[in-house]
Amino acid sequence: MTVDGFRSTIDDVLPRWVIPPLKVLLALFFVGLVVLQAMSLPGSLAHMVEEDPSTAPIRWPLFAVLLTGLVCVQVVVVCTWRLLDLVRDDRIFDDRAFPWVDGIIAAVCLAWLLLVGLLVWAGATADDPGVPVVLTGMVLASGVLGLLMVVMRALLRQATALRTEMAQVI
Amino acid sequence: MPIVVRLDVELAKRKMGVGEFADLVGLTPANVAVLKNGRAKAVRFSTLESICRVLGCQPGDILEYVED
Repeated sequence: MTVDGFRSTIDDVLPRWVIPPLKVLLALFFVGLVVLQAMSLPGSLAHMVEEDPSTAPIRWPLFAVLLTGLVCVQVVVVCTWRLLDLVRDDRIFDDRAFPWVDGIIAAVCLAWLLLVGLLVWAGATADDPGVPVVLTGMVLASGVLGLLMVVMRALLRQATALRTEMAQVI
Repeated sequence: MPIVVRLDVELAKRKMGVGEFADLVGLTPANVAVLKNGRAKAVRFSTLESICRVLGCQPGDILEYVED
């Protein structure tokens, strides 16, 4: 072994087969979200108005909120995809990784705000507790996810500093 | 930095080229250059060990403390 060869690379610790199936799942998830945005969402809102014409005024505001929420999830998927590329190429411990992590945090924050807004609105207007309960769960889950991402970002920052420091050791 | 690497002196004594030295120690020529230019921030004991083995010298022959 050469003296220079001590730096442990991603190939030493992560099985090679993990990333490709993960990216396939992310791609399928992304396609599912597009189908949801393009077909299910407009369809179910049109159905809602057909069933109860009094909901017509909220049709487009609700569409905009739900569409934005789904875009947030897509942003998270894209950022995760890019970060996986960086992991695969052993470039994750680099300043260039941070915009993608920030993208995830921003998207989760926006989604959380949208969910809180929906919860407040649904709590005030819904006559059965089903929707508010589901929304409460989603608010809690996205809050946990967002704060966890902040912790992960701090860990990435620490690891990047350590890697930079170690790279200077001869 | 007040710690000076006297690698060039030891290499000159033995009439050893940088490329040959890098090969024998197992360093990249770039890292040997960093050592020689005094830009090194940290050296592994294993690196120091290889350098001493290749040059047949003691760490004190290579590293020297000088006041700023």
